[in-house]
Amino acid sequence: MATNPLVQQNRKKSVWSTIVAQRELIIMSIPLLLYKILFSYVPVIGWTMAFQNYKPARKSFFNQEWVGFDNFVKLFTGINGERFLRDLRNTIGQSFLTLIIGYLGSISLALLLNEVKNVKFKKIVQNITYMPHFLSWIIVAGLVSTMLAIPTSGGIINDVLIRLGLIKEPIMFLSEPKYFWWIVAFSNLWKEMGWNTIIYLAAMTAIDPTLYEAAVIDGANRYQKMWHITLPGIKSTIVVLLIMNVGHILQAGFEIQYFLGNGLVVERAEIIDIFVLRYGIQMGNYSLATAAGIFKTVVSVILISIANFIAGRLGEEKLI
Amino acid sequence: MSVRSRKRIDVENIIFTTLNYLYLIFLCVVMLYPMLNTLAVSFNDPLDTVRGGIYIWPRKFTLYNYYVVFNMDTIYNAFYISVTKTIVIVITNLFFTSMLAYTISRKEYIFARFITVVYVLTMYFDAGLIPNYLLIKSLGMINTFRVYWIPHIVSAFNLIVMRTYIKTIPESLIESAKIDGAREFRIYAQIILPLITPCLATIALFVAVGSWNSWFDTFLYNSGRQDLSTLQYELQKLLASTMTAGTRGAQAGVTEAGRANVGGSNVTTPQSLRAAITIFTAVPILLVYPFLQRYFIHGLAIGSVKE
Amino acid sequence: MKKTLTLLLAMLLVLTLVACQPASKQVTPTPAPSNQSGTGTGGSQQTSGLPVLSPDNPVTISVWTMTNSSAPASDNKLTKLLKERLGVTINYEIIPPENADQKIGVLLAGGEFADLMGTTDLNIRLIRGGALIPLDDYLTEDKANLLYEHVRPYWNRLATDAGDGEKHIYVLPNYNRYYGEIVGGTHYGASGFWIQKHVLEELGYPSLENMTLERYFQMIEEYIKKYPTIDGMPTIGFELLCAPGREWVLTNPPQYIAGHPNNGGVIVDENNVATIFADKEIAKNYYKFLNLMNAKGLIDRESFTQTNDQYLAKLATGRVLGMYDQRWAFGQAHDSLVAEGKYERTWVSTMPVYEGCTPYYADREVMNINQGYGISVSCKNPDVVVSFLNTMMSEEWQKIFTWGIEGEDYFVDENGRFYRTPEQREQQNDLVWRSKNRLEALYDNMPKRQGTYSDGNADSPGNQPEEFFDSLSDYDKNFLTSYGKKTWREFLNQPPDNPVYYPCWQIALPDGSEAQVASQQLTDLAVQYLPKIIMADPADFENMWAQYMNEIKKVNVKAYEDAINEGIQQRIREWGGGR
Repeated sequence: MATNPLVQQNRKKSVWSTIVAQRELIIMSIPLLLYKILFSYVPVIGWTMAFQNYKPARKSFFNQEWVGFDNFVKLFTGINGERFLRDLRNTIGQSFLTLIIGYLGSISLALLLNEVKNVKFKKIVQNITYMPHFLSWIIVAGLVSTMLAIPTSGGIINDVLIRLGLIKEPIMFLSEPKYFWWIVAFSNLWKEMGWNTIIYLAAMTAIDPTLYEAAVIDGANRYQKMWHITLPGIKSTIVVLLIMNVGHILQAGFEIQYFLGNGLVVERAEIIDIFVLRYGIQMGNYSLATAAGIFKTVVSVILISIANFIAGRLGEEKLI
Repeated sequence: MSVRSRKRIDVENIIFTTLNYLYLIFLCVVMLYPMLNTLAVSFNDPLDTVRGGIYIWPRKFTLYNYYVVFNMDTIYNAFYISVTKTIVIVITNLFFTSMLAYTISRKEYIFARFITVVYVLTMYFDAGLIPNYLLIKSLGMINTFRVYWIPHIVSAFNLIVMRTYIKTIPESLIESAKIDGAREFRIYAQIILPLITPCLATIALFVAVGSWNSWFDTFLYNSGRQDLSTLQYELQKLLASTMTAGTRGAQAGVTEAGRANVGGSNVTTPQSLRAAITIFTAVPILLVYPFLQRYFIHGLAIGSVKE
Repeated sequence: MKKTLTLLLAMLLVLTLVACQPASKQVTPTPAPSNQSGTGTGGSQQTSGLPVLSPDNPVTISVWTMTNSSAPASDNKLTKLLKERLGVTINYEIIPPENADQKIGVLLAGGEFADLMGTTDLNIRLIRGGALIPLDDYLTEDKANLLYEHVRPYWNRLATDAGDGEKHIYVLPNYNRYYGEIVGGTHYGASGFWIQKHVLEELGYPSLENMTLERYFQMIEEYIKKYPTIDGMPTIGFELLCAPGREWVLTNPPQYIAGHPNNGGVIVDENNVATIFADKEIAKNYYKFLNLMNAKGLIDRESFTQTNDQYLAKLATGRVLGMYDQRWAFGQAHDSLVAEGKYERTWVSTMPVYEGCTPYYADREVMNINQGYGISVSCKNPDVVVSFLNTMMSEEWQKIFTWGIEGEDYFVDENGRFYRTPEQREQQNDLVWRSKNRLEALYDNMPKRQGTYSDGNADSPGNQPEEFFDSLSDYDKNFLTSYGKKTWREFLNQPPDNPVYYPCWQIALPDGSEAQVASQQLTDLAVQYLPKIIMADPADFENMWAQYMNEIKKVNVKAYEDAINEGIQQRIREWGGGR
């Protein structure tokens, strides 16, 4: 466009006039923005704890002993550091596996449920698959632990495997580090699979039914319909959730590792949050805990920025 | 279509449907079993449960675990508080989140991106226990009812979900309303809201469950006011009272030797009580959920309405 | 239009709900006028320095306490009693111990506390965090006379430095301050290598003197050969555990077997120098032995992966023949067996030691310093609170807390001895009954008179010898007779006097210090390596042990040992002379 002085003047005016024109939207949103800043961003002043040797007794955040990056150094070096890095690897590994298995499980379940014509059956299945979500992790951990035990202690899995002749001796699932990540992923799957379908099913209701009708006329079969209509229809939901979850990769849960982790599997079981609990909070070392928290945030932000960017490049719905 | 291919499609359909049904039934069994197990344990004599071997039927039936739960007279008020708190949170959440989601779904809105970023980032950091506490304290919200809902009016996750859903509404609908002279708020209230009921129902469920199950905020901010205690927190405390306090200071055991001399032995066990508590807290949700389910189906019909 | 109306209605609903909050009741302790006149039989003891508590001057005291007990029911009879006799109402803030450190953290940052703060081992944080007031001025003859008497002989032990260089008493100890005769010789609550009574019975009640690890396991082995299953389930020889918080089941035994009492992670020699024992021969020998026993199949394979709940469940099935543990920790399993009448499946304690060592499993009860109630800096009238605590210290009130109300919870026979009927004993088991008739939440952290009262009765029913005998089952009576003993305590050694500095596990390691970190790291390493070592093929033992030793070298053990030794020296200096 030519830099017509008239157009330029219009452009300068347009920012202000846009604000005026959109004033309703502004009224509907700005207060909530300020609200969020107050409750989420203002307390971040507390991050100064990570750079101090914080002692609650000294009251204010500004009355403390400053130690610069000492806490971060402590996190990454020495015997503490070895431990932290190992936990970092475990956290990422568990998250990643949980993510993949979780997605495959809940999306496929949502698709299958969508194919069910009998409304009553569908409702029943939905209600039942939501139930595990309501059980607290401590109960789930107990159940998982029992299921994986040896047959005389109620270990169903070992029992079945032995009866089918697939193994001779029971497998000590909870003693071998290599199983742990899978245990976490499948426990999460069991607990959240049904619940996660809620969002997908709600999104499926937004798909225009006429698309299906048109597809039937064109002779599409069930699988083609799923692949070309349903999946694309919930694609934006999937992508948005994916980006968000990628940011949460350092958040691998807590309870299940806490209850099922033990000395034999700690190599693969311990995650960052447990480390923070043991060496941070339980020792009154809030500085260390905060430093670990800041690290997690930095990594998360970087990751979602990358994911968001890639999504945009691929022409998908972006998060931001 | 020829007769032969139609038959083939029918056979395929039958196979698919059968496999589908089998798979779903299998899932149901796998999901249901632990729930039934918890139910059985909650109705089983605690000292008998300790011996293991309870599957889906109680071996030594008893109402004792529930008796303990129901006899805590603090839970009645706590129940009321939990219900009130949940209702308030759900209503405020639905209203404010959807309103904000609408504004940021408008491509032309100049602050849309900024607000989105500000909110999304909050999912990835946490200022920490102490700073949050100090903020709440300075706002005078310690030991109040307000602290349950004010900090939780809009959450980033729900916001994004709603925004995504709103974006699926055809622009043409909105444009034609604007041409007719409708203002933004009116569009939001009269056009958008009715169209996003499945989403509202979903978010309502998420928020309700989260609020119903939360106890940490009660613990942190309101432990000083018994009359504001919530159901989950009371039950947490009840649970703690059956633990043999074995974890802290355990190398000594002297504290406990002293304790054993002073009190009697407990007959409820953590495991049994936990089971009763789980059932007790899960039941209201399981009852409410089917209620909201009809909105999903209702939404299906609405979604097909064109301009 | 209809939609906007619905919206408006919804908002209206929200507003009404929000407005209908329970009115915030401000509760502050009403200061009691310090009148000098004694107020009849209902009031508190008259001491010139402290306000008198009476129903005419109602007072509310807020109590923040870390305890597993639940708050009393609203119709609790003792709550009523406190109100009627002393005009005192208590506002409870009960904190389950599991998350207490987070709560304490925010409280310290916020600077506001309840009147009375009661914790167990986190008191030191409160003290160093400036949350409590020094009580020295109150602890005199003419003010809190009973409290003074309670702490006087142990002043030096109890006085702590809050960080300002001076030593004051901030916390009133809640356990193990004994008055009169030390009874309680019936119950044994602590460590031992427990063995199932039936095993001993089958072997003809062999002598338990001079027990060694070899003989202990030999007895188990013999029994298993005879009874490979119990009640249809495989018999388990020896059970171990290393669930979170219970790691000490795995790490404590070596010190006992070497004839040392429980000092936590260290052994203190004759020169009062402490060193860790995890990397010493005594530990190596123990785990080597376990490794061999495991190769024989005597150790439960699930020992290291099970949770505490599962461990207890196994014990409760009665098929576990032996374990190392402390009695209070498996109380639940014991109760379960007793409830089924399976007395022979419960356990009795033995004390295996290495050649040439003398067993020192049982120690003298140690006073819990820095556990109990302290008065916070936010308390608006500490005088009233001190008066309350002082009154609670009287024999009269202590008896109410431990025995209950005469005529309801216990009876007195013609010799003035207290006793209980079987029904009275039964009701103690019921959580609901207890919430209506006992004030456990309050009493937990309160200073207690232990030992005997001036009338000769034991401090609590559990320690009254007659109560003990009456409540024994026939099987147990028989068992005890076969061993020529009268109480369970007698299976343990006679404890010598505790050394001045004992026990070292009580020495508080400063938060965030190198020592604390090292201690945690040592535990973590133990939990990581010991299970592997025990379950390994005996041929690999030396290798794996060497690996474990290497890892220990990386830990700053010196910081930990230094901190403990400093603590020992400090105790010797300041507490020298008297217990």
